[in-house]
Amino acid sequence: MTDAILSTHGLVAGYEPDLPIVRGIDFSVSSGELVVLLGPNGAGKSTFVKAIAGLVPIHAGTMALNGRDITHVTPHRKVAEGLAFVPQTENVFATMTTLENLQIAVAHLPKAKRAVAIEALFTRFPDLAARPSRLAGALSGGQRQMLAVARALALDPPVIILDEPSAGLSPKIVSEVFEMLKAINASGVTVLLVEQNVKAALAIASRAVILAEGRIAHEGLPEELASDPLVGKIYLGTAHHHQGALA
Amino acid sequence: MNPQFIMDGLITGAIIGLGAVGVTLTYSILRFSNFAHGELLSWGAYLALAVAGALGYLSAGLTKPIAPFSFGWALPISAVIAIGLTGLLALAVDALLFSSFRRRGSAIIIMVMASFGASLALRSLLEFLFSSRPAYFTKALQIAMKLGGGLRATPDQLLMLGVALVAVIAVHLLMTRTDIGRAMRAVSENPALASIAGIDVRRVIRTVWFLGAALACVAGIMSGLLIQIRPYLGHDLLLPLFAAAILGGIGSVPGAMLAGLIIGLCEALAVQAVGAEWRAAVSFVILIAVLLVRPRGLFGKAS
Repeated sequence: MTDAILSTHGLVAGYEPDLPIVRGIDFSVSSGELVVLLGPNGAGKSTFVKAIAGLVPIHAGTMALNGRDITHVTPHRKVAEGLAFVPQTENVFATMTTLENLQIAVAHLPKAKRAVAIEALFTRFPDLAARPSRLAGALSGGQRQMLAVARALALDPPVIILDEPSAGLSPKIVSEVFEMLKAINASGVTVLLVEQNVKAALAIASRAVILAEGRIAHEGLPEELASDPLVGKIYLGTAHHHQGALA
Repeated sequence: MNPQFIMDGLITGAIIGLGAVGVTLTYSILRFSNFAHGELLSWGAYLALAVAGALGYLSAGLTKPIAPFSFGWALPISAVIAIGLTGLLALAVDALLFSSFRRRGSAIIIMVMASFGASLALRSLLEFLFSSRPAYFTKALQIAMKLGGGLRATPDQLLMLGVALVAVIAVHLLMTRTDIGRAMRAVSENPALASIAGIDVRRVIRTVWFLGAALACVAGIMSGLLIQIRPYLGHDLLLPLFAAAILGGIGSVPGAMLAGLIIGLCEALAVQAVGAEWRAAVSFVILIAVLLVRPRGLFGKAS
């Protein structure tokens, strides 16, 4: 395992200062890992990653990216520093075209490099290349998810965080999304993934962390968690019949 | 019916349209009705008047009319300076008032009430500085030219129509073809997503204030040149401005301009058809009708 590329220390976050949802999380992701965050509904998974991205107020603790403190850095500066975030919903600009969504994403690059960057994204996501003038709101669920991921990858970030990218997608598209995440991770990008789809997430993860009530309840290798019936029952809502499938 | 109402309506409509573009931009991005927007028209006109006066004092040659218009070089030069100053005024009001409410996450109604307060303060300050007597950029009289079809217009009026058209096309191109325009549309649609897409939302908000104020200044100067300059110049246009922004569809630049022209034409038609005392009611009727029949306006996007 290499050095931590993203870490939090005693992170407390939530929309109201006196009602924290994230209650002191010490957490780190090493370069090249694909870490999946699991846990029951209301465990604070989404709030935790939104706090890392800068969308939820932080009331205590610190976070660092590549060793640099980014606790109170604004969201757009975090993007420039190499932290990309794909929210679960409303993750594309629906009233703008596919191309305009990507043009926004590459606006930080020098003008001469933008066309090349967009071309590279279109090569990586041919479904989007076929629909540059389509309004993002008119794309299918899977295409919208690809556009959201393409937008996040536009600046070649070392770290990408995705909040339930499989939510609301058909099983066929879900498997495509997980294949895409595997490929992104294989290309050297560190991935932090929040998922409800436990089986599929554990199948591609290099490490899994379970949150409960705003704190880390358990962490370990995917195969360890998958084979631990107590963990599955208490935290993941998985019944015994899942174990065979996960093994 | 005298067809001249068409020209009168287009001129009034161009002033309303330019002001409405500023209203629609600030509303769609800042998400509150800024009732102080009308004062930016008045301040724009008075700032141009003050700068033109100073330029005329420094060089009398600058006030000599540029044929065929009624004004000298002092006015276009002062207009450029006034646009910058009005933009800075809007940024100052935002920094002193609205930004602190934004930081606290205040409710929209608090922002609206604050804009009422800002409106009162800005208008009173204008009256204090310049008095409430009407003022003029020029006292030169112009003869209206025959345009055919029973229409007449002065060279100043035709120039101002051209300026309004160029300004709206420029803003439309800015919104659709540039980074800052795309960023403004992105913030308008989803500020949180815009921030994690790498957009500096605070910079966009500053740009919107400046741009809206710049357009208000141009509209104020147009109104001052073609009618007169009064501290209530912008305040009296507030209802037509909001009616045009809503009729055009919040966030739509061409929509606001087109709606401004529609309202201007309806007002001019009402003056001929039912009398000048009904002019102000036209905007009100249009506003209510749009809200009842098509709340998203002509070019607004369905929510």
